[in-house]
Amino acid sequence: MRRWQFLTRRIFWSIFTIFFVLILNFFIFRILPGDPARGGVRDPRLTVEAQEAIRVRFGLDKQVINCFETLNPIKLGDCAVNPFDTQLFIYLRNLSQGELGFSYHSNLPVGQILMERLWNTVTLIGAGQILAIIIGMGLGILAAWKSRTAIDYSALLVSLLAWSLPTFWLGIILLFWGSREFGLPVGGRITPGLNAADWFEVTMDQLRHMLLPTVTYTVVVLGQYMLIMRSTLLDVLSQDYILTAKAKGLSNFQILKNHALQNAMLPMVTLIALNLGFTVAGAIQIEAVFSWPGLGGAIFESVGRRDYPVLQGAFLLLAVSVIIANLIADLTYSFLDPRLEGN
Amino acid sequence: MGTRLFTIWKRLRRSPMGLVGAFMLLSAIIVAIFAAQIAPYDPDEVVRVTIMDIYVIPNAEHPFGTDDAGKDVLTNFIYGARVSLIVGFFASFIAVGIGGTLGIVAGYMGGRVESVIMRFTDIMLVIPDLPLAVVLVALTKPSLTNIILVIGLLGWTGTARLVRSQTLSVKQRKFVVRAKAIGASDFHIIRRHILPSVLPLMVANTVLVISLAILNESVLAFIGLGDPTTLSWGQMLNFAFSRGAMSAGAWWAMLVPGLGIVWVVLACTLLGHGIEQVLNPRIEKHYLNKDQQLSRFEASSTPVTPVTISVEDTPQIDREVLLDVRGLSISYVSGNKPPARAVEDVSFTLHKGETLGLVGESGCGKSTLMLSLMRLLPPDGRITQGEVLFNGHDLLKLDEKQLNGLRWKDISMIFQGAMNAMNPVRSVGDQIAEAILLHTPITEPKELNARVDELLDLVGISPKRREDFPFQYSGGMRQRAMIAMALACDPQIVIADEPTTALDVMIQAQILDLLMSLKERLGLSIIFVTHDLGVIAELCDSVLVMYGGMMAEYATVDKIFNAPEHPYTQELLRAFPDISNFTQKLTAIPGYPPRLDALPAGCRFAPRCPKVFDKCHTHVPPLYTVNAQQHAGCHLLEVE
Repeated sequence: MRRWQFLTRRIFWSIFTIFFVLILNFFIFRILPGDPARGGVRDPRLTVEAQEAIRVRFGLDKQVINCFETLNPIKLGDCAVNPFDTQLFIYLRNLSQGELGFSYHSNLPVGQILMERLWNTVTLIGAGQILAIIIGMGLGILAAWKSRTAIDYSALLVSLLAWSLPTFWLGIILLFWGSREFGLPVGGRITPGLNAADWFEVTMDQLRHMLLPTVTYTVVVLGQYMLIMRSTLLDVLSQDYILTAKAKGLSNFQILKNHALQNAMLPMVTLIALNLGFTVAGAIQIEAVFSWPGLGGAIFESVGRRDYPVLQGAFLLLAVSVIIANLIADLTYSFLDPRLEGN
Repeated sequence: MGTRLFTIWKRLRRSPMGLVGAFMLLSAIIVAIFAAQIAPYDPDEVVRVTIMDIYVIPNAEHPFGTDDAGKDVLTNFIYGARVSLIVGFFASFIAVGIGGTLGIVAGYMGGRVESVIMRFTDIMLVIPDLPLAVVLVALTKPSLTNIILVIGLLGWTGTARLVRSQTLSVKQRKFVVRAKAIGASDFHIIRRHILPSVLPLMVANTVLVISLAILNESVLAFIGLGDPTTLSWGQMLNFAFSRGAMSAGAWWAMLVPGLGIVWVVLACTLLGHGIEQVLNPRIEKHYLNKDQQLSRFEASSTPVTPVTISVEDTPQIDREVLLDVRGLSISYVSGNKPPARAVEDVSFTLHKGETLGLVGESGCGKSTLMLSLMRLLPPDGRITQGEVLFNGHDLLKLDEKQLNGLRWKDISMIFQGAMNAMNPVRSVGDQIAEAILLHTPITEPKELNARVDELLDLVGISPKRREDFPFQYSGGMRQRAMIAMALACDPQIVIADEPTTALDVMIQAQILDLLMSLKERLGLSIIFVTHDLGVIAELCDSVLVMYGGMMAEYATVDKIFNAPEHPYTQELLRAFPDISNFTQKLTAIPGYPPRLDALPAGCRFAPRCPKVFDKCHTHVPPLYTVNAQQHAGCHLLEVE
C-alpha cells in the first residue's frame, strides 16, 4: 500500500514540476529583454503594419493571462477575456502539440530541429553514463572495501581530480591529442559522404566519432559516482548486520555481494538521478567541443546566433527529460526497497 | 563567530587534504591580488602585432607562448585568475546567502513556511541549472555582474537543503529550547544560537559552491557568453578554441588556462572535503578491513595454565571441555593515542552443556571478549596475547577460511539489539536460509524452507512470516528470529550478547524462558553476557565477573551469590535487589569504571574499593584459587 502511495505522490510531483518548468519558460521568454518579436525583428525598415503582423503571427497581440495585458503589474488589463485566448494558454496548447515556435536562424519548427538531435544526445549521455556508473561505482566499492589503504587514497585523489576538470577543457585536450596522435576525427557524428551501404564501415566510423566525447564524459562524471559510492558503502559496512554476516562465516566477498551492495545501491539510485541535472551540463560542453549534433550542440550554436526559440526549446526539453529521469529513478527505488511495501 | 572559524582552522591542521587545498587556494588568491606585480607584461598595452607574433611557441620571452592576438599567455593567465575568483567568490556569497537564509527560515519556522520553501527548493534542484543559466545570460547582456547574479541565483539549492537539516537538529537541542522557554525572541535565537552552529557547515559548503561557480563561469565564457571586456580563463579557452589554436597546434593556449581552472577548483574541492572531514569525522574503518587482529600477536612463550572451575556436579553438564580461553588480552589501538587495554589476561573454560554468565558494568570488556573469540573485533581491536582453544584447536591460529567454516556452524551469536543485526532489505527467512546453505549439506529449496520453518516454529514464529522483512517484525519477534538464526546450524556454543536489552520486561522473560528450554532440549553450551544478576542466578551454572577488562571473580553461581570473595562482586550484589530480603538497603558503587587508556597502576578496582589497602595501588593482584569452585583476583586472598 505504502509503495503505491509513494508512487502516486512521486508521479503527481513530477507532473507539477514539469508544469512549473513550462510556466517558468513562458515567463522568462516575456520578462527578459530578448522579446521574441523584438529579437526577431531587428530590421528598422519594417513598417508599423508589418511589425503588427509579426506580433499577430507570434500571438503577442493577445493578453498574457487574464487581467494582465503585459507583465507590467501597474498596467492591468481586462479580466473578462476568454482564458483560452490568452498567450499562456495558447503557449501551453502549442506545446502540447509539440509546437515550440520557429528558429530565427533556419525558420524551421523548433520541435522538429530538437527531436532530431535529442537521440544523438541520448546516445552520448547514455553511453557515458553507463560507463561512468560502472567504473565510478567499481572504484568506489574498491576504495570503501580497502579503506585507509593506498588503493583507497589514490582512488579518492583520482576522483577528486576528475571532478575538478572542466568538461569542455578535458574535451579540448583529448581532441587535440587524439586527433594528432591517433588520427581520430575532429568532430561530428559521422564522416560526411561515407558510403551508407557498407554498414560495417559506417558503424566503425560512428564508433570512432563517439570515442573521444564518450571518454571525456565518462571521466568527468565518474568522480561523483565514486565519491558517493565510497561514502555510502563505508556507512553500510560499519552497520551491525555486516558484523552478523561476518559472524555467520561469510567471506568478505560474499558479505559485499549479498549484504552490503543492495543496501548501498538504494541511496545511489536517488543520487544518480539527482546528478542527471548536472550531467546535462556536461553534454552541452562536450557537444560544443566535438561539434556533436545533439541538444547541447544546438544550445551552443543558438547562443552564437542569439536564436532564442531554439535555446528555450532545448532548455525545456532537457529540463523535462531530467525530471522524467528522476521519476524513473524513484520508481526503481520503490522496487528495490522492501520497506516501502508496508503491511 | 570569529572564534568558531578559528576553531575550524585549528582543526583543519589535522586534515592534510584540507591543508593542501587551503594552500592551493591561497596561492591563487595571492596571484590574483598581485597580478600587476607578477605578470611580465601589461595586458592592456597596445602593441603592434604581426602574423609572426600570433601563437608563438613558448620561449624565453613568453614562457607560455602567445595567443591568437599575439598577447602573452602567462600575463593573461595571471590576470584571468582575478576574473575567475571574483565570479567564484561573489556568486557563491549570493548563493550561500540565499540558501542559508531560506534554510534557516525553513528549518526554524517549520510548518507551512518550511514546506513551501522546501518544495520550491526541490523543484529548483531538478531543473538543470546550466542550460537555464545559458538561457538567462543569453537573453540579458553577458556582463560580469549579470553572470555573477545568474550563477548566484541558480546555485543556492544545495545550501538550502543542508542548512535546513542542520537548523532542524540544532533547534531541538536543549539550549535553544531553553532560550525559547525564557522568552528570547526568534531573531535573538537565530543570531545567537542557530547561526553559530550552522556556520561551520556553511563555510564548508561555500568553498564547494565557489568551485561550482568558477566551473559554471568558465563554461558560460567558453560557449561565448562571457563578459567581452574581461579575459577570464574560460574566455581565453573560448578564443583559443574558436580562433584556430587547434589547427595551429598551439597547445599552450589551450592547456594553460584550463590548468588554472583545475588548480582553483581542485583547491576548493580539497579544502571543502577537508573541512567537512574535521567537522564530521567519520569512521572510515569497517568490518571488512583487512584482519589485523593478530598483527601484533606474540605467542606467549610460557604456556598459560588453564583456569577452570568444577561445575561437573550439575546434572546436564558433561566433563568435556569445549572452549578453553587462556590468558587472553585485547587492546584497541587508534592513531597515536595510547592503546586502550580493553581485556587483560582473561581465562575461563566452558564445558559441554554449561551456561556461563558474564557480568560487569558497561565498558568492562564483556562484548570485546566475546567478539574476540571468533575474531570479530572491529578493525582497531588487537588480540595481543592468549589462546582460544576450541576442541583443542587454537582459533587464533586458524586462517580466515578455516575460521569461516567454523563460525556459526560451531559457535554462533545472538547479538544485542536485533533491529540492526539483521539486513533490512532481505527477508528474515532468507537470512536464516543463508546460514543453513553456507554450513549444512541442505541445498534443496523445499528442504531448506522446511528447515527454516522448523526453526521459526521452534522460537514461536509462524512460518507464514518467513518472507517478511525485519522491519515488519516487532522487537521481541526480531530477537526470537535472531535466536532461530543462531540455532540454524546446530552450533555447539551460542554466545548471547545481552539478548534482552531494549526489550520490555514481559518480552525479556519470554526470551529467557525460550533460551532455557532450548538449552535443555538441544544440550547447548551458552555464554550469556548481561548486566542483570537476576538472569545470571536463574540461567547460569558458572559466572565470570569482569571489572575494567580483568577477571574479578570466576566461580560457580552458588559461590558467587552465597560466598563472594572479591569486593567488587560483593558490591555488585549489594546494588542488586534481593526479593527474599526486603530490609536490605540497595547501595550503588561510588565512582566510575576506569578509563581503559589511563589505567591505575595497581588493582583496577582500587579507586572504588571499600576494602582497599596500600598494596592495591601499586600491584596488580593475581588470580587466586579459593577452592575448586572459585577464583578471585584480589590481594585480600593472599595467604600470609
